[in-house]
Amino acid sequence: MPTVIALDVSLSMSRPVPMPDTNEEYQRRHLAVQGINTLLDFISVNAVWNSQAWYERNIILIVSFSYLWERTVPFTRDHDSIKAALNKVELYNKTCLETALVGISTTVQEEWNNGVQCQVILVTDGSVGVGPGSLKHSLQTCSARESTESKFPLPFTFPCKLHVLCVANPNDPDLKTALPLYQQLINLNSQGGEVLVPEGPLSFRSVQDMFQKFAEKIYTPFHAQLQCGNFKCPVQLHPRPEPYSRDLEFESIQMKEIWNKLEIVGFLEIAEVASPPTVSRHLVLPTPTRDRSSKTENSDKEKKTEGGKTFTKGDEEEDGTEDGKVPSFAVLLHGSLKVESMVALARIGEDWFGMLYSWADSKKKSNLMLSIFEPGLCLENIPWLGNLENLCPVSAFETPPHLVEGGQPPFPVRPSEKRSYAQSCVVWIKAAGLQSDMQKVLRHARKLPDKQQQFYKEMNRIRRAALSFGFHELLEAMAAMLERECTQLPGTAHPSAALQLTHAANALRLPSALEIVHTIMPLQTNFTPGDR
Amino acid sequence: MEYDVIPRTKAPGFIPAAPVTKPLWTCSVECLFEYMRIVFDIYPTNRLIRVVVGNRCMNSWAQKEMNMNQLAVALASVGPPWQEAVDDDEFSAVQGLSQAVEALCQPSPAQEEYLASPAQDQIPLVNNGRIICLTHMKSEAYVRSLEECVIDAIVQHNKLASASELLLPINQCEVTLIHITPVGEDSHISSQARRELSDVVNSEVHVAQSGKFLYFKTVALVQEHYDLSSTTVTGIPMKEEQNANSSANYDVELLHPAAVHSDIMKQEQAEGIIIPSKEGLPTTTITLKWCTPKSNVVELHNCSGAYRITPVDVNSRPSSCLTNFLLAGRAVMLEQPRKSGTKVISHMLASHGGEIFVHAIPTCRSILEDPPSISEGCGGRVTDYRIKDFGEFMRENRLAPAAPTMLSTMPVKPINKALERLERSSRFWPIVISDTLVGNLMSTISPLPAFMVKEELTDDEVLECKKVIYNIVSLEAKNEVLPVPVVGSRGKGPKREEQYKQLWNELENLVRAYSDTSSQHAKVLECLLECKKPTGPSGDQLQQSPRNLSDAKIPSEEKLDTKQIEQSWRDLDKFQRMTEREKQELLKGEKSFDSPPSKKTKTEELIMQPGGQNLLSLWTKRVASINNKHHAEFAGRLEGSGLKAKLYPHLDNEDMEGGSNGSNKSQSNSQTLTGGTQR
Repeated sequence: MPTVIALDVSLSMSRPVPMPDTNEEYQRRHLAVQGINTLLDFISVNAVWNSQAWYERNIILIVSFSYLWERTVPFTRDHDSIKAALNKVELYNKTCLETALVGISTTVQEEWNNGVQCQVILVTDGSVGVGPGSLKHSLQTCSARESTESKFPLPFTFPCKLHVLCVANPNDPDLKTALPLYQQLINLNSQGGEVLVPEGPLSFRSVQDMFQKFAEKIYTPFHAQLQCGNFKCPVQLHPRPEPYSRDLEFESIQMKEIWNKLEIVGFLEIAEVASPPTVSRHLVLPTPTRDRSSKTENSDKEKKTEGGKTFTKGDEEEDGTEDGKVPSFAVLLHGSLKVESMVALARIGEDWFGMLYSWADSKKKSNLMLSIFEPGLCLENIPWLGNLENLCPVSAFETPPHLVEGGQPPFPVRPSEKRSYAQSCVVWIKAAGLQSDMQKVLRHARKLPDKQQQFYKEMNRIRRAALSFGFHELLEAMAAMLERECTQLPGTAHPSAALQLTHAANALRLPSALEIVHTIMPLQTNFTPGDR
Repeated sequence: MEYDVIPRTKAPGFIPAAPVTKPLWTCSVECLFEYMRIVFDIYPTNRLIRVVVGNRCMNSWAQKEMNMNQLAVALASVGPPWQEAVDDDEFSAVQGLSQAVEALCQPSPAQEEYLASPAQDQIPLVNNGRIICLTHMKSEAYVRSLEECVIDAIVQHNKLASASELLLPINQCEVTLIHITPVGEDSHISSQARRELSDVVNSEVHVAQSGKFLYFKTVALVQEHYDLSSTTVTGIPMKEEQNANSSANYDVELLHPAAVHSDIMKQEQAEGIIIPSKEGLPTTTITLKWCTPKSNVVELHNCSGAYRITPVDVNSRPSSCLTNFLLAGRAVMLEQPRKSGTKVISHMLASHGGEIFVHAIPTCRSILEDPPSISEGCGGRVTDYRIKDFGEFMRENRLAPAAPTMLSTMPVKPINKALERLERSSRFWPIVISDTLVGNLMSTISPLPAFMVKEELTDDEVLECKKVIYNIVSLEAKNEVLPVPVVGSRGKGPKREEQYKQLWNELENLVRAYSDTSSQHAKVLECLLECKKPTGPSGDQLQQSPRNLSDAKIPSEEKLDTKQIEQSWRDLDKFQRMTEREKQELLKGEKSFDSPPSKKTKTEELIMQPGGQNLLSLWTKRVASINNKHHAEFAGRLEGSGLKAKLYPHLDNEDMEGGSNGSNKSQSNSQTLTGGTQR
């Protein structure tokens, strides 16, 4: 998940922090930098796996905000470059949050085009500035700006959570006035987020704790149990699934979260699920077995080896082989899904389903992926699968429905009615529609008596449509047309053709033709070749 | 949602090419049908429309009456208005509107359901609706009076409804009055934008000439009312009827929910692909380019949404060509035209179950870029997963929608049935090949695993299971080599007796996992436990095995009389009664030569793959292979090349003779029994 860290570099950040146990002078910005380092370390440790240079979450940019904004480090996965840049930040004059927000908005849109969930973290010291450009001023004017002025960047156009981490003493009077304003910002973005303040007086420790706590909340991977009958396998989901909210006609779903259990209920072919609409996608990665047991105890040691990338190659290989050699159900599942071109349907929450399948970014590397469907059992979610709770194992059928010869395949589930384009509906809004329908009748008329059945079928179809549209004049017009056609029959025509045309024309003029239930039947003649 | 059609006299609305003139009524009904066709195509459920003509309702709120065919019949029975009805004109418009208000007060099935649910107490039901009135109005004052009429009717009906259990008060009502004039006639009434008439009623007035103008208006309104938008698929290649070799490019305009384009609308570079409708509608459309499908392979695309579509001009040749192509099962990708020339696929058209959908494919950058392969993670280095077997497992656990009859007879929800089934079939299922013998011996033990998974077993099926068990007993008694494929580098190749031990253990686990299902399942376990050897010192196995077998025979004789099993038992007994000499002869009779404990002719291969062997078996095999070689030489050529050539044949012979004398107990036994194999 892309993360934007905006660090306040106004002069107020250079205020010294009194520390009783050291003679060196530290400023707030040092604490802030230390805090950000804590955050980066946490993200590194929890990155998908360390043997790869693939850190799913650490796509970070730093915008220093003061009077102007600046892209200090572009979106990168290289934490060291961020750390290096952090040590070099210089201080500028005053705090101006709005410019930082503009900067964030611009950069994210350039890079991710509004489609990706982000985390935006403002690191500041609780002073919101004074006069024009101050947060208070920005918020007061944000709704009443004229079109010529630049628009206030909130709410962001991309999905994101906005967090404010304050490097300030909790009892700082400045902070007390700033907190409601920060909250107002978060509310304005209306996508969640929070304001954090250190617990206890300002110190390296308290700031670090604040960042650590924040990181644990946001960046801890989502652990779940992948389950298929008696197969069980601990997995992580990347990115973390977001709670789901949506208003429906009669109810609204609020912050619905998925279970910590992905319960496979059965399997379907890729052609059967047919690219269903999904809410989000998540990589499903088997959790290292040592992860849960040892991580908490040895977190310090691990931080050293993984976060600092100081481990030797030997260590890495040892770790890799240990994990790699323990069979994992997720890998088996992935392999079979890939080979068989199937997906596994999984229950992931109350009335909530998703599907697991093999997904490949490139041709070579494939992975197990979870796509989450819209929650709810509404038939409209994926009409062609029907109500997912009505899916039944094929073993419960007397003959497996996939094997019934000549029968309808079980999928797609068909609606009871056909859509207009799948049946011959009558539309005469444009003259061409009416003309082509009339022409069809005439075409059959010229091929009488061979096309007798089709001729009457088409004629009755037009007649019924004309009655529905209240277009009674058309009946007379059609009758006249058939009579004219009768006079133009070639001499070689079958004698019954003329008889049928005259009969049809007369029938159209009878009062009974105006009854919708009535059907004009062919004339029984001596030429009629039996009742075919 | 409501449609009110007020009859009007037969004013001729000319359609130039048709030799007959269409009455105003016909044009109005056609537009009404078109409106409903679009709504029902895109929202087949939960979008309810009632049609009112004068004081007659054509349908109810029931979902089954949201149907064009039924309305066609109903409207045909009404027929166009007659000349005599003209006097009633004013009266019937008012009548129609109040009838419409009354209809809105009646709860729809979904509303009824909600009223009955406990949720109603927390959040009261909101009853909103829209009345669309197609009519001809004489003057602005008449417009006012119609609006007044609606406000009045709603006030009256709300009063009635609040006192009634069966009716719902109207919370919000939109009124759309459409004033229709014959083609070429100027209107004396002007359009009015939406405005508030009361806190319940909003009203707007539209003016349209009849014929295609009214049609354009209708399509524009349906888009507004249902939040639809339009896509024009461009560059569809179609063969000409007259000229089958060449193809011309056509465009088809489609309507669908506006959400289809939510991605595009967010983009900066959206301009350029939004153009005025090519069908002449007073609306805009987004152009997307047709990409001719290259293969029929069904891929799984990542889709953020799938929405139903309907063509604007449903019966035109390009439209029906496109819809027929899609209904036949092909999917078409749609591409956004970009100036930069990069190909951006943003949508897919595909049909499912006779309905056509447009799938929205996210175009923005994904954060899942360049992930590692699953083989780099946990369990990724294991190479002998039972991928193929699990594929079978998946096929056995496929899902299909339950038939209506099953829904009524099944005691649990079908999905729970599926979960139960998965639980049962996965009770004993090792996931890697090298961890299991059962998984590799399916041909030997089939159909035992499949039967055990069943919830009920017939006597015959129990018998089949027992046959499998006895078969293994007889294989073991003859010390047959288990047909285990030599794969995997994990672990060392176990000795035969160990293999049997493992097989018995696995079988016991397998059967035990299901033994509590029924008494029939328990019988299979019972039989298995009787046949399974007690785990003693391996050297004694030979001695124990006949005794065990005869023990096991007693219950089997009580229950079984199958010829096949009898036969195998008879063979066994006979074999056991033989003297060592006889056994040797049998061995010789069946096979001209068999090397000591090694795996028959596979010896050479096995030496090439030492991974699965232990040191002893490696050595014995090596010796055996050398023996083999030299023996062949000895038989082939009488002239020996050295001492060794003479010595080894001797040893070989000695081995064979000596074996029969029981000089090396365990070896000779295995040799003898191998010889007894029946092929």
